[in-house]
Amino acid sequence: MKSKLNKENIHKNINRNETFINQKLGLDVSFDVGFRKQIIRDKEIQLYYVTGLTDTAYIIEIIKALNLINEEENQERDLYDLVYNQLVHQQVEVIHTMDEVVDQLLSGLVILFVDGSDTAFCIDVRQYPGRAPQEPDTEKVIRGSRDGYTENIIENTALTRRRIRDERLRNELIQVGERSKTDICISYLEDIADPVLIEKVKKELDEISIDGLSMADKTIEEYIVKQGMNPYPLVRYTERPDVAAAHLFEGHVLIMVDTSPSMIILPTTFFHHVQHAEEYREAPSVGTFVRWIRFLGIIASIFLLPFWLVLVQEPELLPSNLKFIGPNEVGNIPIIVQILLADIGIEFLRMAAIHTPTPLSTAMGLIAAILIGEIAIEVGLFSSEVILYVAVSAIGTFATPSYELSVANKMIRILLILVTFFFGLEGFLIGSTLFIILISGLKSLDTPYLWPWIPFNANALTQILLRISVPLSKTRPSIVKPKNNRRQSE
Amino acid sequence: MSNKKNKSNYNPALRSLVTGFFGGLFWSSISYFGHLFHFTSVSPSTFILRLWYDYAWIEKWKGEILSILIISLLSSLVGLFYFFLLKKFIGVLVPLVFGCILWAVIFSSFSYLFPTLIHWSSLSSDTIVSTICLFLLYGLFIGYSINYDYAIHQEQSN
Repeated sequence: MKSKLNKENIHKNINRNETFINQKLGLDVSFDVGFRKQIIRDKEIQLYYVTGLTDTAYIIEIIKALNLINEEENQERDLYDLVYNQLVHQQVEVIHTMDEVVDQLLSGLVILFVDGSDTAFCIDVRQYPGRAPQEPDTEKVIRGSRDGYTENIIENTALTRRRIRDERLRNELIQVGERSKTDICISYLEDIADPVLIEKVKKELDEISIDGLSMADKTIEEYIVKQGMNPYPLVRYTERPDVAAAHLFEGHVLIMVDTSPSMIILPTTFFHHVQHAEEYREAPSVGTFVRWIRFLGIIASIFLLPFWLVLVQEPELLPSNLKFIGPNEVGNIPIIVQILLADIGIEFLRMAAIHTPTPLSTAMGLIAAILIGEIAIEVGLFSSEVILYVAVSAIGTFATPSYELSVANKMIRILLILVTFFFGLEGFLIGSTLFIILISGLKSLDTPYLWPWIPFNANALTQILLRISVPLSKTRPSIVKPKNNRRQSE
Repeated sequence: MSNKKNKSNYNPALRSLVTGFFGGLFWSSISYFGHLFHFTSVSPSTFILRLWYDYAWIEKWKGEILSILIISLLSSLVGLFYFFLLKKFIGVLVPLVFGCILWAVIFSSFSYLFPTLIHWSSLSSDTIVSTICLFLLYGLFIGYSINYDYAIHQEQSN
């Protein structure tokens, strides 16, 4: 972005501007850059626009208004001033360099040159192709607002602004990408969010020097947090404006990237990924209940299968009243192979379901359930207990609110199954301990990943274990290091 | 203006007591769970009630829960001890070493003090592995919490 900026100024002679733009943008080659000449009071004016990004109705309106100048009786006034006066639009800016001209033109603004003037007008008549706000598929709630972020950053800031009319909400715009010039917006509440974090994020964003961000938010995430080989998600994404607003009020920083409906919430811990908007739409006790069930599901998705495998391999560990656990008959295939096959089978299904169009996926589900589940047991490939436990832990995976977290958990589960198979109980114990030690050592932007469990913070952990009703949660979470940590007056 | 309001009003030493208490509560409960599944032959009561008493109910869950509570109280003292000695070492390494040393101290020296306790060398390898893992996590919990709290406290008071 900061490379060879062309600081060439706009020329007074309109023909030189024309040749410049012609060379730069290849007007005769690219078909999507439009161009219109008009003669007004014997002087030439030129209009440039990108066809797909502008609203035709507005451009017609502007040209109409400009033509009215010809009928103006006062022939004394300067044409430039007359044109400025006649531009019937609220967002008109005067620009001075050719570089600005090119930038603004390509982001969808109309550029207007007047012969004999060394400045140009740019008029914001942008109309980007896009969809209307819809409820995001991944974060559905039963009651509550159904709008979701879209691919348009302007609409996205508007959706946030609808919820936070605070004059201290800041939406800072930064452009990243030498070629893509993608807009990135950092949103935060100025009197709450941690200035150190904001500085840090801005610095990281400034240092990015890349062609383009075609994977928008994900690319930005990879620059901001250093992921390495760790599968655990270090930032939280949301597509819901209400979730984003809740986090802004708590003092989090939000990063929006144009062309993506997913907002990045910083800083994030593990426990941000196990909460869901739904819990806040229900009575606190119900929310707590739902959350505990969800926690059970998540724990089951990691530990249930390896734990069961320990008990299968060493049945003498079972307490006497649980002796029925474990397969009754020795199958034809070792249990470990069955578990891995079944787990991989579910993974097949999940991947297939992503690509399969909806009408076909019903058929796919039937085939999967009947052919694989039922028949595999009848043929003697799988024992039914394996299917049961694999299914429970798969459902636990699906009950995880964050998709990224569920996939990471799945990988850890498979690793734990393997160490359990090779080293038995001790493998399971050492593997699990190592897992907890490693993820508690993770840091996402100086935030300990397992906070508030390790390091322990009683207040914050209560907020996570119990869904506290809003009137009772008076302070902001300390992990965001808020400048002002009360969210309600006493 | 809000900076004054925000100055941490808690006492980190007091907080280390709380951390110690919950650390003891959580990890000794986990050890009881492990004991139920015979992962370890020692249970919370091994180190508390069964050192002196030999009633049948101690083996049952009532004795274990009582022992867990006593361990939690003792553990808050461990928290305080950690706070006064080791709070300055940030990160997870020192807490892990602390957990290891705590395990060694408890499992080697206790059997000299209390003849009813079996010496660690005669415990099964499963028990040794699971108790070491438990103490590592316990050390991590106590130590990392206390040194993190302390670091944040320092940052805020400056």
